Amino acid sequence: MAEVRLADESFLTDDFLRQLINVGEVDILVGVPTHNNAKTIGSIVEAIQAGILRFFPRERAAIINADGGSRDGTPELIVKAAIDDARGRSSKPYTLRTLHSISTQYSSSPARGTALQTILAAAELLRAKACAVISPDSTQITTDWLTTLLQPIYTEEFDLVLPTYSRHRSDGILLTNLLYPMTRALYGLKIREPYALDCAFSGRLGSQFLAQNAWHDETVRAGCETQFTLGAIAGEYRICQSFFGTKEHVPRGSADLVPAMRQTVGALFSSMEPNFSFWSTKTGSQSIPTTGAERECILEPLRVNRKRLREMFTTGIAELESVFQSILSPPTLAELQRIARPEEVRFRYSAELWVKTVYEFAAAYHKSVISRDHIIQALAPLFRGRAFTFLVENSNGSADDVEHNVEALCLEFERMKPYLLEIWNGGK
Amino acid sequence: MPLKQDALWYKHAIIYQVHVRTFYDSNGDGIGDFEGLDQKLDYLEELGINAIWLMPFFPSPLRDDGYDIADYNSVHSSYGTLEDFRKFLGSAHQRGIRVIIEMVLNHTSDQHPWFQQSRSSRENPRRDWYVWSETDTRYHQARINFFDTEMSNWAWDPVSKSYYWHRFFSHQPDLNYDHPAVREEMWNVMKFWLEMGVDGFRLDAVPYLVEREGTNCENLPETHAILKELRRRLDEQFPGKMLLAEANQWPAHLRPYFADGDEFHMAFHFPLMPRMFMGVKLADRKPITEILQQTPEIPPSCQWCLFLRNHDELTLEMLSDIERDYMNDAYAEDKAMRLNLGIRRRLAPLLDNDRRRIELMNGMLMSLPGTPSIYYGDEIGMGDNVNLGDRNGVRTPMQWSGGWNGGFSAADPEKLYAPLIQDPVYGYPAVNVFSQRRTQHSLLNWMGRIIAVRKTTGVFGSGSIEFLYPANHRILAYVRQLGNETILVVNNLSDAAQAVELDLRRYKGNILIEMFGKNIFPRVGELPYLLTLGPYHFYWFRLRRI
Repeated sequence: MAEVRLADESFLTDDFLRQLINVGEVDILVGVPTHNNAKTIGSIVEAIQAGILRFFPRERAAIINADGGSRDGTPELIVKAAIDDARGRSSKPYTLRTLHSISTQYSSSPARGTALQTILAAAELLRAKACAVISPDSTQITTDWLTTLLQPIYTEEFDLVLPTYSRHRSDGILLTNLLYPMTRALYGLKIREPYALDCAFSGRLGSQFLAQNAWHDETVRAGCETQFTLGAIAGEYRICQSFFGTKEHVPRGSADLVPAMRQTVGALFSSMEPNFSFWSTKTGSQSIPTTGAERECILEPLRVNRKRLREMFTTGIAELESVFQSILSPPTLAELQRIARPEEVRFRYSAELWVKTVYEFAAAYHKSVISRDHIIQALAPLFRGRAFTFLVENSNGSADDVEHNVEALCLEFERMKPYLLEIWNGGK
Repeated sequence: MPLKQDALWYKHAIIYQVHVRTFYDSNGDGIGDFEGLDQKLDYLEELGINAIWLMPFFPSPLRDDGYDIADYNSVHSSYGTLEDFRKFLGSAHQRGIRVIIEMVLNHTSDQHPWFQQSRSSRENPRRDWYVWSETDTRYHQARINFFDTEMSNWAWDPVSKSYYWHRFFSHQPDLNYDHPAVREEMWNVMKFWLEMGVDGFRLDAVPYLVEREGTNCENLPETHAILKELRRRLDEQFPGKMLLAEANQWPAHLRPYFADGDEFHMAFHFPLMPRMFMGVKLADRKPITEILQQTPEIPPSCQWCLFLRNHDELTLEMLSDIERDYMNDAYAEDKAMRLNLGIRRRLAPLLDNDRRRIELMNGMLMSLPGTPSIYYGDEIGMGDNVNLGDRNGVRTPMQWSGGWNGGFSAADPEKLYAPLIQDPVYGYPAVNVFSQRRTQHSLLNWMGRIIAVRKTTGVFGSGSIEFLYPANHRILAYVRQLGNETILVVNNLSDAAQAVELDLRRYKGNILIEMFGKNIFPRVGELPYLLTLGPYHFYWFRLRRI
């Protein structure tokens, strides 16, 4: 295990360290990053507590809350989940041993990277064998999640457990059209949710990630979940995925897209440099062990303003032409401008063009042809165009049809990987 | 050192439990005897114990190691004579050691003349001294204690062609305590031994004396009334003598056995014992503090009797299912180690022969509220033999030396009542009194030291207890207090070194004096008192305001 150099790590307060000393060594650690989640966190922590008591009654367990400065009493709700022998706790459920639930507020502004770093540090100091991170937004959590996430780590020696979900076909389009297929094509593994807010990992993987020296890098901090998954892949850790039921659709405004892309696509692009020797030699893709029911998409109607998507694509093509000239090859840009013309009645952003676009953006990101953040921002309107096409193409399809189309896109990413390699160090 | 007059002597006793058969064979017949026990009293005096609890030594067919008594007023011929017993008793008293004997009130052997007469005919005057029935369906709510061997609490008697009641083995018919003559006769039995000079009785299986339809036939008011009557007679005729209850019950159910200080003087705290093992295995004080939180106050003249191991299996009856499963997995992985609802193992093997854990467990035994009882051989770390059947694996001969038969007997090894432990780790060549006496830091000498330290204060026997709840759950800390004497006990239940901060502000200004080495520790101030403890380490501190 890599050593945590506490003297250099200002993110652990003395009080938190004192609490960790009292917790001691644990078998199971559940980390909960929060920031003003009082409305939802109570039921989530209850489910975590119940899951620990039900599935890990004999194990030494701790719930660790890394809070970004909540002012709504979130940490207090989490700390209440502790079960110990102190007086006045007779109403608590029975446990064989003490269950710790502790909280710390990190000093920086709310950031998932800092929260994850805090949880990883706690996991290492407590020598946790199996750790889970549960998002404060996971209101659909059940007690079964604890065993689904942690059991493969604890008993089967996996290093990373990622979730798979049933999603609405209109939900997670960034995932199905970019993150999943590109991660799969690059790294050769069919990981459906490479960007997972709920996951579980082994102590050794946690330590390895904690020991990396890139925590000061804003891209790493913002996209820590993706970096974590990609680090596990590149480190050839044992990965599996488990089915977690239906992913609740969270309506998001268009303004949420760019931050989401920074956290995910930005992380994916930035990981390509250090992992080049790994991904550049991979061809094709392999399945990874998956437990639970098959993932499928939900076909109930979900309102998406497709007209607005196309408008934002068209506007983006027009307004960002000079930016695209720096990023894209002339044929790709020309083709995009062609499909963006208003007279194109049957707008279609093809899979081949989309893959070519994404790969050219990745290469541009690598070469830093302009500010990397601007590159990610510039991809947003193009993604909206692709999302429009995906929704249109799948508007009347069955679940199998949708899955078939996603699979076809994945194969396109894999087929065109030589093109990525060609432009990676070459010209546009 | 003759016996001191002290009505509450049992509160400051260190009890040593021994079966005369197991201790020392003086006549070379392969079976321990009273003459042999007498010869080994110097050893017990040196160890520091001041009370001996003798397991049944009465004439018996020995189908339950003497708990099946065939004559209450005599000594089994294998162990000697009544005169031998008297001599041993006198020798013990001369050394300041009191003697507690076993009294099995609930049942006799089916070979006892009372039962033979009772079964002989329905008209026999002793017919109703036992519980007879035409059916085997009465008292069906009563649990079966020995469910590994018994299918029912009723057994068919082919002689009198009816069923008789037995809460234990079927060869142990229960006496009928609704019969006045039975109650009178059992008091006469106790009086017989009290007049000889014994200092107390360990009353076996007391919850089961009376049966009533519609109940589980345990802890009934009628049973308590009988026990109170025995106590009244004891106090009137033999003041200073003691009654110790064997009642494997929850603390709340045990409490009535103390009544208003007019029933039992002492009772074993059965639920605490397995939780001490659990706490050490879990490295978590929670099981221990929780059961002691649930333990009710008892009258000032009464006392809990604490033990780590005894002649029976480590009982798991007073545990929940989840706790019982855990204990079985943690301490009896080999199914052969399990018996009824318990684990038939000795202290040292249970603790993996880990000297640190053995010391820690004994440290808690000696410092928690109550009178400690040490099972013979555990003071040297004897092992067990699960292949001997029933509970005989923890009743093997005492290991005195590495010589012939472990120094227990001059008989041919084949004649011994049970084979000695011979494995490489616990066998008598490796574990014996002779070699441990020669080694300053042996377990035996350490046990002598901790007993001596305990005896320097009355706090452990009579003081109050207050638990501290440091945030480090691996630390079990408590303050014992009696008058102006205060002792702080801190136990590390884990296998790793621990730091702990104790809130001792109410003792601000005191200095801590470690009771074994008598070294001074820093004065208590306003800040949390920081201690570090090695794996399974414990401290006893005397608090002194100087």
